[in-house]
Amino acid sequence: MDVAAMSVNDWIGVFFTLVAFIGMAAVYFMVFRPANKDMFESQRSMALDDEDHISMGEKK
Amino acid sequence: MEATKASPVKYDMEVVRWFTIAAAIYAVVGTLLGVWIAAELAWPFLNFDIPELTFGRLRPLHTNAVIFAFGGCVLMGTGFYMVQRTGATRLWSNGLAWFTFWGWNLIIVLAVITLPLGMTQGKEYAELAWPIDILIAVVWLSFGLNHIMTVAIRKTSHIYVSNWFTMAMIVMITYLHVVNSLAIPVSLTNSYSIYAGVQDAMIQWWWGHNAVGFFLTSGFLGIMYYFVPKQAGRPVYSYRLSVLHFWALTFGYVWLGAHHLQYTALPDWTGSLGAAVSLAMIIPSWGGAMNGMMTLSGAWDKLRTDYILRFLVVSLAFYAMSTFEGPVMSIKTVNALSHYTDWTIGHVHSGALGWVAMVSFGAMYHMVKKLWNTEMYSESLVNVHFWLSTIGTVVYIVSMWVSGIMQGLMWRDYDEYGTLTHTFVESVFEMHPYYAMRVIGGIIFHLGTWIALYNIVMTVRQARSARGVNAVPANA
Repeated sequence: MDVAAMSVNDWIGVFFTLVAFIGMAAVYFMVFRPANKDMFESQRSMALDDEDHISMGEKK
Repeated sequence: MEATKASPVKYDMEVVRWFTIAAAIYAVVGTLLGVWIAAELAWPFLNFDIPELTFGRLRPLHTNAVIFAFGGCVLMGTGFYMVQRTGATRLWSNGLAWFTFWGWNLIIVLAVITLPLGMTQGKEYAELAWPIDILIAVVWLSFGLNHIMTVAIRKTSHIYVSNWFTMAMIVMITYLHVVNSLAIPVSLTNSYSIYAGVQDAMIQWWWGHNAVGFFLTSGFLGIMYYFVPKQAGRPVYSYRLSVLHFWALTFGYVWLGAHHLQYTALPDWTGSLGAAVSLAMIIPSWGGAMNGMMTLSGAWDKLRTDYILRFLVVSLAFYAMSTFEGPVMSIKTVNALSHYTDWTIGHVHSGALGWVAMVSFGAMYHMVKKLWNTEMYSESLVNVHFWLSTIGTVVYIVSMWVSGIMQGLMWRDYDEYGTLTHTFVESVFEMHPYYAMRVIGGIIFHLGTWIALYNIVMTVRQARSARGVNAVPANA
């Protein structure tokens, strides 16, 4: 690889590639960390729970 | 901060009702246009030598109608619906939501006027003239601002994953639309892209594929993660998997566009990178599809009687299928056969009809019952619509698979002297039966949209007459 020949665009590309890679690695770590399991899975039923705080959305 | 039964919330759902009805109407109009132009390809006399009815002018009207009119109304309606309910709060601005509704519909009217008149930038899925592009940006930002501010004022501590998917769509479509639409105007209706040559192609397909990735995938995954658990009455199978699905999709999708430009003037490595990331995207896509389907664990029996749930689950099957097919088609060896053929059209419609339209109708039926506090006028018609949609989609995509692969094989076949075996016209002649078959598939699907519109309108009328008698308010 000819680092000296890399343009500004190339370096910007490298930067975003690394950001995406490190970001994905961080997400995998965060999601699969056993200590975080309950924190995430406690939200499983959030879509179902919204019935609890429904009142009305009547027409104007 | 979780809201409780002691602190009921009043929502702004009237605008959601209007988006839902508009979506049902646009589904009919958009698929009618699709059937008509499909028929023009099989029987070209159907353009009657009227320029405004030719394929080249009606095709962008069809794509704009189904993607942005139908799809856009579904996304905005469900977006406003989900963000209020999962955040236990009203919209940040109900007035701004109405501005979004009328602004979006004005854009659709302008598209109906300008595209048949031939006013186009010639950029796929971004054909509209530059003044309309500016209007799109303004209206889209009004939707985005309202949605994000509603998330900000939520009464719940957690932001549900559906809202993350919707916000990813809002941010990325803003960015993609603005960059792709940068142009130098030369008149009120004409402009030149600021990009030239291969850069123009790259920007176009960076937009083109991410319109699929963020408008037609991320936004509709948000719908899936809310409405599948709701309709099944089961919590989402794995919330961790949904988080992983969201971030993998968001990080990964923006890299794929170059796979549309294999074997072109684009540098070879960009197409290879696009194909490699496309293949990697199978993992989160299938993870998400499995997550949606496994949400039915312990409730599969509901599919026997719950026709709305059938729409949602079958849409996931098509989502899984098309997110496998797409990456395979991006591989250079396969792309050498499939590119420029009807296989691509079949692939797009397995996603558009099978995934997007079916998950949309599942969500719309669910919302109609909630928004008007009633049961569907006819559950049987929902079932008839489901089967028409499924059969119509399968007939459509099978005809295009056969047609496309035949095209690819005919175009690259050559004899011992290196001369092409078939002329292009011969391949067009051979396509005719499959083009006719596509029209039949399209008609079957289109009939389903009429049934949906009729059923939804009758449901609303039924709810109104019941309310008139019993004075029961419509819950949301």
